[in-house]
Parts: sequence; structure tokens; C-alpha cells
Amino acid sequence: MTGLRRLGALLLLLVPVWLSGEGSDAPSDGHVRFVDVTAKAKIDFVHASRKSPEKYMMETFGSGVAWIDYDNDGFVDLYFVNGAPGTSNALYHNNHDGTFTDVTKRAGVAGPAGYKTGVAVGDYDNDGFLDLYVTAYGPNALYRNNGDGTFTDVTATAGVAGGPREWSTSAGFFDFDHDGRLDLFVVNYLDYRLDENPYCGFRKEGYRMYCNPTSFDGTADRLFHNNGDGTFTDVSRQAGIANPAGKGLGVTFCDFDRDGNTDIYVANDTVRNFLYRNNGDGTFRDVAYGAGVGFDPNGKPQAGMGVDCADVDGDGFPDIFVTNFSEELNSLYRNRGDGTFEDISSKGDLRSSYLALGFGTKLFDVDNDGDLDIYVTNGHVIDNIKLYRPNLAYAQKDLLYENVGGTFRDISARGGAALQVERVGRGLAVADFDNDGSLDVVISSVGRPPVLLKNESTPKGNWILIRARGHKSNSFGLGATVRIETSEGRQVAEINNVASYLSSNDVRLHFGLGKATRIQRLEVMWPSGIRQVLTDVAVNQILVIDEEATK
Amino acid sequence: MRRVLLLVGAVACVAGAPARLAAVQADQATRSLQERLARVGADVLSGTDHMAEAIAELKAIIAIDPRLADAHLLLGVAYRSVGSPDLTGEATAELLQALALDPRSIPARYYLARLYIDVGRPKRAREELETALAQMPGQPQFLALLGEAERQLGNPARSLELNRQVLQGDESFAEARYYLGLAMYDLGRRDEAIQEFERVVRSGVQKPEVLLSLGTAYVQAGRLEAAIETLDTATTLAPSRADIRIELARAYRSKRLLAKAEEQLTLAEPNAAPALASTADQQIESDFYQELGLVKLQAHQLAAAAKAFRKVLDIDPNHGPANRALAEVYLLQGLYARALECAIRAEKAGFPLPDEKRKLIAERAGAKGKGRE
Repeated sequence: MTGLRRLGALLLLLVPVWLSGEGSDAPSDGHVRFVDVTAKAKIDFVHASRKSPEKYMMETFGSGVAWIDYDNDGFVDLYFVNGAPGTSNALYHNNHDGTFTDVTKRAGVAGPAGYKTGVAVGDYDNDGFLDLYVTAYGPNALYRNNGDGTFTDVTATAGVAGGPREWSTSAGFFDFDHDGRLDLFVVNYLDYRLDENPYCGFRKEGYRMYCNPTSFDGTADRLFHNNGDGTFTDVSRQAGIANPAGKGLGVTFCDFDRDGNTDIYVANDTVRNFLYRNNGDGTFRDVAYGAGVGFDPNGKPQAGMGVDCADVDGDGFPDIFVTNFSEELNSLYRNRGDGTFEDISSKGDLRSSYLALGFGTKLFDVDNDGDLDIYVTNGHVIDNIKLYRPNLAYAQKDLLYENVGGTFRDISARGGAALQVERVGRGLAVADFDNDGSLDVVISSVGRPPVLLKNESTPKGNWILIRARGHKSNSFGLGATVRIETSEGRQVAEINNVASYLSSNDVRLHFGLGKATRIQRLEVMWPSGIRQVLTDVAVNQILVIDEEATK
Repeated sequence: MRRVLLLVGAVACVAGAPARLAAVQADQATRSLQERLARVGADVLSGTDHMAEAIAELKAIIAIDPRLADAHLLLGVAYRSVGSPDLTGEATAELLQALALDPRSIPARYYLARLYIDVGRPKRAREELETALAQMPGQPQFLALLGEAERQLGNPARSLELNRQVLQGDESFAEARYYLGLAMYDLGRRDEAIQEFERVVRSGVQKPEVLLSLGTAYVQAGRLEAAIETLDTATTLAPSRADIRIELARAYRSKRLLAKAEEQLTLAEPNAAPALASTADQQIESDFYQELGLVKLQAHQLAAAAKAFRKVLDIDPNHGPANRALAEVYLLQGLYARALECAIRAEKAGFPLPDEKRKLIAERAGAKGKGRE
């Protein structure tokens, strides 16, 4: 343990990071703009999918990406998951000057040997350093952060490898039982066997296609309870989340009913989605049917891929956004606050997603105007889809929706050149990598280099970035609920880095504040139950909040 | 139906009278839910015409208690009854969930096996049925379905054995007889298969599957009047089944009633190919174009016939019958080199052209090869 936890008396630590000036290039049209800075950032990672004539489904699956400040220097670093067996994942250190350095070898986080898929970030041992969990087709891997720039593979000791032939996808750390330690939820996909890979598609040369998941059964997800001694116990069955019907790809955590317990939403591919309500006694109950978040409005299951939850309409309750297959709308479920949701997917411009096949996604305030916008990266799963459906494409453009009073306007065409590029988008993660107050985006692409998109939107509103330091709660405050009041209104959000597709976002919580120049009241409800209130807080800063010692 | 329901809120009461009241209310709610489940269960298992309402009711029941295994089982059965490809995966998912909640649920395992048979996964069906038979040895429905799984896995003789065994115990068991007929058909014993299918139909079973099998066997046997009558009945039972209409078109074509054949094919025409067409969908598409090509060939519409056969070959370039038919079309069009190419492919696939045509194509192609085509 470091001395961080002994700083309990410290109410808050202010780390002001003053704006260093806006980007020099004014947006050509509109005010939201993302700029591809991958090359400038010296990120040379290339995802390898190793496509084979056998068309193994993993080859088109893509991989995740994570933001992780592994060395606690205040700047988020980047972790890329690779694909094919024999390839290495990559950890890039943020040099604080807009560039990154590949430190994978020293860090020892190359990933499992087989097909790698997703990544989760969390400090499972509460030592103040973020750890990494990497999912795969086959055993997953847990890397404990040693705090010195290196990691140790502790999978076997921890007991979180999962099944030897399980196809794990997204994963996330959260404290479901309020014991102050992060537990681990792992989403599993199909019961898929390489030696029983069927032929799908036309027999004509070049027409073989990746199979439809309906050709396979699902597999149950896993919930690992953190025992606090470096080991975990698989509690999936007793917790009630071991449903073999699932073909899970995405997961996110929110307290949907605001009862103080973190719930789980799982996006499943071609079967209904799950909403596991946390009963507060170590068990969950799948309430998707009653809540109305399992199907499309016609009662048809969709092909869920990525997912996020957050309050998009400002009513204080987290809503759910799910990316779906081409020729299905992405789903936006508005939380009515009474345990039920309304599907508002066809409202506003969200219908523009109809032909796109959505993967990674995030609800975040792109322009710091005080509400949450939507970013989606797209790409088909069938690389030869044009042979079958000339109106569809493997590589597709991203989608960006601006929140306009709770409905959404498609502003992709005005989002800058980076949004006009077609890619086979998969993982997507969001963080403010240069600490300038604007949230940036990193996207992984099948068989291609990733893209780092710097948010250069102007003019932008004021902001605050909150880094929570739990003491009784988990060390990064995951699961804490933060409410703020400004002259612009109220906002509520949870500290939750688990969303999107196979990916993990920054653990710091960002609020766009619009024109507000002070935060009149900032309240943190920690997972421990401790409520902490700050008043008259300055804007445009990274605010470190230590959990108070007592209620 | 055996599980105790704890309604949301019913457990929040403190000790004493309120607790007893809550217990009574919970018990009443449980009974009410069980009654609803029993009612909708009867509807689903009898194949109600109001399956959409039954599905809505089952979803409402699951919304109240998501851990009712029987509700998931019935929902899976209901989804399967709808027969929509969109819901097949969901049907499997519900049955798997029913089994996860109640691993000893024999009905869940049985319907899951049926679904696996429906979607062409006989190996998984066999696994489920063997597990079920370990729980209930000798159960005739499982044995019959296991026989069908074996047939689909390429063991018709095993199916014959299993279904005969079942029929010895109950010779009125129509499903076993149907599977017996399918096994006989696969074994090349077509006329015996027809007799078994006819017995099934005579017993009062009017199912599209059975009528399609019987109609197909009639076409094979050249009993075209009977085939048309049987398949026509099947289309009235399942008007949207393209495979039945394609077979009916085949029967009409065999009787040289080409207009009627085309009429059926128009009704069977596949929509634009879905992005992730299943193997079964692709088979139907291939069968459709093959039959269309044969109708056009018989009508001497050679360009249209060639176009249809090429569609079949897009799906499978080594399709024997399509290559053979296209070779004939090219021969008639005087495109000898192409005809030769198709004839060779057809022969490789085990569908050779008649000797005289092969020779003719080879001669003409050779002669042309010396010059130019």
C-alpha cells in the first residue's frame, strides 16, 4: 500500500491546469472538430487480424483500447489490445507533450497468447495503481501494476482466467457489494470452437463470409468477487448472472434506479440484452423484460455491440445507448425513473445510423456545453459484404450526434476531416489525454493502425475533470455518484470507466459546464455511503477529491 | 411453475402482522402468476392462433418473475412456433435460460433439441437428447427425435432402427413414422417412404413438412397428379414457405405446365439477399434459381435459363445439376467451350450429361478450339 490511503484527512487537492489556448485552426464549419493526431503522437501500433481462408470469426472481431494512467503522473496512457495469436498488445506512455512512447516490453503487458479481444482497467488491490485485465478467446489475463512501470501477470493466483475455451469480450471492474474492493464482470460471447468452424456464405471463390452468431449458442458471463487477498471467487451462479442465453459483447455499469447499488447492462448479439438489477445482497435480477430494454420496439432482439449509460436528458437517471447491426437502429433507452425505459431510438437524427454497423461508443460532452453527446465508430463484420449487399461497406464512417435538449442531431459531416474517413471501427475509448479540458477519442480498427482524435472544438465551454481518491471506497472511486450545481443547471454522473466495446475509458469524471464560471455545489456519494459536499468550486481544473474518513 | 414468487416490495415488510399479510399477498400473487402461466401454457402448447398475445403475456410474467424456468420454456416454445428466423435465436436463448434455471427440465431439453434440428444443428440436438434419455431412458419422443438427429448426421440406418423401436411400442406415433419415412427415403427406399408418409397423412396429420416430403417423393416417383395435390395442400397450410412452392413448381414443370410452374416461382422468389443469409436461406435461393432455370430451359428461353443457372453457380460453382443444365443451354446456344467447361464440372460433381451430348460438346468444342469461339 502506498501513502495515498493515509491522506484521508485531506479534503481535496486542487491541481489547476489552466487552458493553454485554443487550437490555431478554426473549424471550417460548425464548432465541433476532431483532428487525427495519431502520427504526431508517435503511435505506431498496428492491429493484426491475420485473416484466413477459414474465416474464423475472431478475425473480424477487432480489439479494445484503454486509457490508463498507469504511472499516476496525471496524464492518461494508452493500451492497445491486438488480435491474432502471437501478436503483442501495446502500452504507450504519455509524454505530456502530445507524444507517446511504446513501453510494452518494460511493462510486461503483451497479453495472452491466443486471440486477444478486450481490456478492463481498475485498481483491484487498492494500492493506488491501476491494473489491467485483458480478455481473449481462451484464458484471460490479469496484470497487477507494480507501481514502478512494470506489471506482473497474476492471473493464476487471482483465479480470473475464465474457461479455457471461453470467448470473453468486454469486461469491467466495479464494487457490487460495497466492500471497498473492485469485483470483476467478464462478458462472454459464443460457444465457438475453431475445429468446428462451419462454412458460411456462397461457395463461389471470394464469397466465404464470417458466420452469423445465430449459428452458435451463447455462453454465460462471469462475475468474480474480490476476496481482498489477491484472489477472486467466481460467484456468477449465486449472483444470478450466469445466463447461458447471452451472446455478450458490451457491458456498462450504472445505478439505474438510484438505490445506491451499481447495476449491470449487457449488450448481446442477436439475442435480447440483459439488465441486471443489483439487489444489494450479493445477487442480481435480470429485469430487462419489465424495464423494456431487451428488444427493439417491435419486440425483436437486435445485434447489440457497444453500450454506454449516462443521463442524456438531464432528469438525473442514467439512460442507455446501444450500438447495433446494420439495418437496425442504434438503441437509446430513456430511463423514466420508475424502473422502466422508453425506446427513443427513432427520435431526432438517430435514424441516420440505420445502414451503419455500430461498435465502440461513448456518451460524453464533446463541446462542454453541459450535456452529453454521442460518438459511435462503425464498421461491418463481413469483409466482403459488398459482394452480397452493394449498399453496405466493410469500412464505414464514424457518427457524431449532438445533444439538443435530449434529442440528437447528426453532426458527423461537420466534425472535421477525421470523421469523414472510413474505417473498420471496433474499440473506442474517451479521455482528455492532454488535460486541456476537452475529451479526446481513440479508436481501434480491424487490421489497421488505431486513430487518436484530438478534440479541437471551439469555442468550448468550461469544464471540470474529477479524479476521485477512495479510501474506504475503492481507490479510484469507481461507482461514486457526483452531482453538481452551476448557474447552468444541475448534472449528475457516475464515475464509471466501463462502456463502449471491448474498451475502457479514463477513470476521471468529466463535466462540461457551458458558461458557468463556478460550481456552486459539488456532491460526491461514495460507494462506501460517505456523502461529501464541496461548495464554490473553480471551473477549468482537474480536481482531486479524497474520500472523507467518516460519514 | 414450482417456484415461489417474491414480488418486488413484498419482502420489505417488518415482522408481525404486516409480515403475515405480506406473506399472504405474496402467496396470492404467486398463485395468480401460476394461474396465468398455466393458461398461457395451454395456449402455447396447443399452437394457438394468437401466439403474439401469448408471447406478450409470457413477457409480462417474466417481467414480474424473471426466474420462472417454465415461463422461459414456454416463451422459447412460443418463439419457435412463430417460425420467424428473427426469433429462432431468441427461442434458443429462452430454452437455454430455462435449462440454466432448472437443469432437470426435460421439456426444455426436448424443445431445445427440436430447435437444433430445425436450424440444422443435429449434433447439438443429439447431445441434448442423449442427456434427456439418461434422465428418462426409453422415452419414445426423445428416441424418435434422436433418430432424426442421427439421420441428419448421415446415419439413416440408425434412425430406421430407433424409429422402428418406437413404433413397436406405439404404432400410432405419427412423428416417429414420419422420421422413419425420411430415413427410408435417404436409404433409397422411396416407395416404402411414400407408404410411411401416406400413413402419417391418413392418420390425420396435416403438417407442411410431412406434405412436402410426401410431395417430393411423389415427384421423384413420377406420380405428378398426387404430387401437385399434396403440395398444393401444403401451400395452403404454409403460404409463405418458398421451399414448398419450389417443389410444386417442379411438379408442374414435370407435367409441362410451365405457366403454373412460373406462377409458383413468382410467389417463391427470394427477397434481396440478407446480409447474413443462413445456410438454409441460401439453399432455398439455390433451389429457386435451379428450378427457374429448368422452367426457362423447357420453355426454350435460353438466355433466361442461363442467367438463372449462373445464379445457382454464384452460390456454389460446383453445383452438379446447375452445371449440367447450363452445359445443355450453352450447347443449344452454340457456346461449345463454355458448355464443355460446365460439362466437366458437372461430371466431377457426379452429374454427367448423357453420353451423346457429352460427345457432341467435346467434338464441337474441339473443332471450335482449333478455330475460335
